[in-house]
Amino acid sequence: MKKLFFLAMLIMLASANLFAQKYITKNGKVSFYSDGEIEKIQATNDQVSAAIDTSTGDFVVKILVKSFEFEKALMQEHFNDDYMESDKYPNSTFKGKITNLSDVNFSKDGTYNANIQGSLTIHGVTKSVTEKGTLQIKDGKIIGTSKFDVTLSDYNVKIPSVVSKNIAKTVQINVAFSMGAVKS
Amino acid sequence: MKKWMKISLAIVAVAIISSLAVYKFYINKPHKDIEHATPDFTLNSMKLYKEYTANKKHSDSLYNGKVIELSGKVDKIEVTDSMVIAVFVFSKGDFGDEGIRCTMLPKFNEDAKKIMPGTTVNVKGACSGFNDSDVILEKCSLIKD
Repeated sequence: MKKLFFLAMLIMLASANLFAQKYITKNGKVSFYSDGEIEKIQATNDQVSAAIDTSTGDFVVKILVKSFEFEKALMQEHFNDDYMESDKYPNSTFKGKITNLSDVNFSKDGTYNANIQGSLTIHGVTKSVTEKGTLQIKDGKIIGTSKFDVTLSDYNVKIPSVVSKNIAKTVQINVAFSMGAVKS
Repeated sequence: MKKWMKISLAIVAVAIISSLAVYKFYINKPHKDIEHATPDFTLNSMKLYKEYTANKKHSDSLYNGKVIELSGKVDKIEVTDSMVIAVFVFSKGDFGDEGIRCTMLPKFNEDAKKIMPGTTVNVKGACSGFNDSDVILEKCSLIKD
């Protein structure tokens, strides 16, 4: 009987461990695209940390603003100094949850739609957001992607009127995180 | 040639040259050359990490956006599709191993791949801050003594 109990405990622990798993990346990619009247501006950050807990659906993203790379150095300078004020607000974060966790089978390869809800902090302003994304489960990895819009004025990012035609009021954000399992 | 013509030609020439100069040296100026920049700070990897974890705000005011030359023992070399990252590990947290992550300039990728874990190296790069798990250095080069 004792042996059976131990065996049951062991199986429970093992399966709990199997499901209570965390997947992370430290080189996730976030890019944004501004389709202004005069010019199109794109920047990419491939130093983004993201973690997903498959048992709770908790999802965290950590971004360093200074890691966004632009084609032109001057644009990067304006982005950091004038618009994002990255000396004052060096970090952007997202903390939230996958709300339709039961629709995702993390142990079966496939592509699943994910609803994500949480708080997004940009430029020192935190807003609650609800976005859609996809989770692709493949070869023990989770590839999370999403595309959504951010309206700059929501986050108190001020664009001077002189360049208002160069920068879109709403920018498109693309995220791609290829997350691998962490053993705990 | 009449005097007014000479003057207007000169004005046009100056205008063209100065707008070209503005384009080249201002609008289209190159990204900062981190590899050849003189470091703003030279310090031990553990010291940088400890300072950041003890006081992020103060450390950001000192180091964020600056060129830093680090020395310390590399714990692992991570290779992704497009990047090689030298990692100094000091802690374990929600995001696995935590410490300092130095993304190499592509021209140093091959040399960085050859670094054996535990080797003491000097790495120079631009610090882009601390994301509450890792301190990030980018555009890194290996400094040979």
